[in-house]
Amino acid sequence: MKSNGHLLKINIPIIVAMLALFLVSLAVKKASAIPAFARKYKTSCITCHYAFPKLNAFGKAFHNNGYRYPGGQDAEMIKEEPVSLGSDAYKRVWPNAIWPTDIAGTAPFSVQAVGRVLYFKSDKMTSFEVPHEFELFYGGTFDSKISYFGEVELEHESELGYTFNVQYDFNPGLHLKFGSVGLEHATPEGLRLTVAHYNITNLRNQSGTWRIRSGGGGGMEIWGAMNGAGGKGGFTYALGIANGQHDEENYDINKSKDLYARATYKIGGLGEAGGTAGQASATSAFYIDNSVRLGGFVYSGKATKGSLEDKFSVLGADVDWWLNRLNIVGTLLTMQSDYMGIERKSLAYFAEANYVLYPWLIAYTRYEFTDVNKDDDVAAMTSIIPAMIIMLRANVKCSLEYNLPLDTASKGGGGLTYQFNIAF
Amino acid sequence: MKKLYFLLLLAFASTAFAGDIVGTIKAKGARNAGNAVVYLDKIEGKTFSAPKKHATMDQKNLSFVPHVLPLLAGTTVDFVNSDDVLHNVFSPDKCADKFNLGTWPKGQSRSYTFKNAGCRPVILCNVHPEMEAYVVVLSNPYFAVSKKDGTFAIKNVPAGKYTLKIWHEKLKGKPVQITVSAAGKVTQDFVIHR
Repeated sequence: MKSNGHLLKINIPIIVAMLALFLVSLAVKKASAIPAFARKYKTSCITCHYAFPKLNAFGKAFHNNGYRYPGGQDAEMIKEEPVSLGSDAYKRVWPNAIWPTDIAGTAPFSVQAVGRVLYFKSDKMTSFEVPHEFELFYGGTFDSKISYFGEVELEHESELGYTFNVQYDFNPGLHLKFGSVGLEHATPEGLRLTVAHYNITNLRNQSGTWRIRSGGGGGMEIWGAMNGAGGKGGFTYALGIANGQHDEENYDINKSKDLYARATYKIGGLGEAGGTAGQASATSAFYIDNSVRLGGFVYSGKATKGSLEDKFSVLGADVDWWLNRLNIVGTLLTMQSDYMGIERKSLAYFAEANYVLYPWLIAYTRYEFTDVNKDDDVAAMTSIIPAMIIMLRANVKCSLEYNLPLDTASKGGGGLTYQFNIAF
Repeated sequence: MKKLYFLLLLAFASTAFAGDIVGTIKAKGARNAGNAVVYLDKIEGKTFSAPKKHATMDQKNLSFVPHVLPLLAGTTVDFVNSDDVLHNVFSPDKCADKFNLGTWPKGQSRSYTFKNAGCRPVILCNVHPEMEAYVVVLSNPYFAVSKKDGTFAIKNVPAGKYTLKIWHEKLKGKPVQITVSAAGKVTQDFVIHR
């Protein structure tokens, strides 16, 4: 957590450099449902969200169907009449006509405003950071095969970030995505309930030029999801190629491309591609999906700093366990970074527990461990983040969280944050 | 054979000495005058057995259909899931035992019997909070649900004096005394408001 007092002591060039780095790192990718979808289907946020932006099982299935209702039922679920850009019969006229499609009946935009009140333990100072952030989301589908999702994010007065991707949805098992890609979806980063970013997404390579939060930049990805036996759980995968380290204009920094892969297998619960087969249960709630999802991911890339190359790779595994009102998520990540002739090995992991006290009140705790260099004598950074998430409405959230560093070097830091999010 | 003649005679008699109650509802404070239930209050000395045939409430395109379902106490309702998404059916109302039927696949149904006349349980889905419906549990089978234009018709009401009541999920109307003659139509309009 930063301190305004500290910022004042940093000189202007460093601030400019930090801002540039921040812009590069703003390849945020949030594959969440948005209020535009609530309008389109005339349904509540909690149809897709555990507590926004964290998705529930149906929200994941909706995403896995290319932002559509599962089972081919999307057209009849849409309550907002789309605008035709060509009648269906024009498919028979092609190639002597443009292939027909349709667009949303109203502009598919959504807004999220975020404000914070921060207490910095080290400075014993409270600050109202309102507004903190303004986000414009857009997402939807063109006919039954093309979907898109993106975001423009304005944080403070000068920090601008944006993402966009469009994909061809052959079926839930095969999508071809083009645009902002990366490994972020292997972590809960884009869908986190806390103000604090996950440690595993903040871990940088040795040259400091890449981290999971940076995203893969522009690239392509094939991905898909399939239900498991009896319609329960199932398999997801993603294979991508991306610029990796990129500049402010999204150009690749070097000639090499980064590669990544991600696979998960879910046991029990709602099918990854949705549907209701085999889903009879005596209980139900939008936050319940008794299941275990096991996953693994790998990322390999080259980054450049000056004339020097940083060859790095990431290997990780994760678990997402849902049991009635309890959800436990854990991710372990190892990073290897080869830079200036030095090979550095890093280890980071986190474990978090979410517990629904009431559908509008979630108790949350996360433990984080980060050992930047496993071979040196510097102690690992550890912290614990307890929080309470309060859904005042389905689209109005506030949270109270405490970031408590546990390791000796970081002790005395951290602080308390109150945040509110309004989405509409 | 005699028994059959007797039953036919009884049926004829009950039709012959029955009239219809018709009317129009004006709703102040609602988009339209539909989904109001007009019904006869408890008829002293008479009991009615619930139909064996189940009533149905569908869950289709993230809506309960119908939105308002009046029925005779003791009627069983089959709640059908016609969507390929998981739905739930529950009621937070004590008079309906705060029942919760869980969740079930598309094309299947689960049932609940509404026993208590006078109960007006709201029906909800705990997966889709925008979904809402009402069951109006009544003590006799003489009721009707108004159309959007406010018109309603209760058919084949035995001749007699009754209290005619109206129920709406948001609006209220005053009960009226009504006399149904042995044949013909009685017109009774209502104004309902907040």
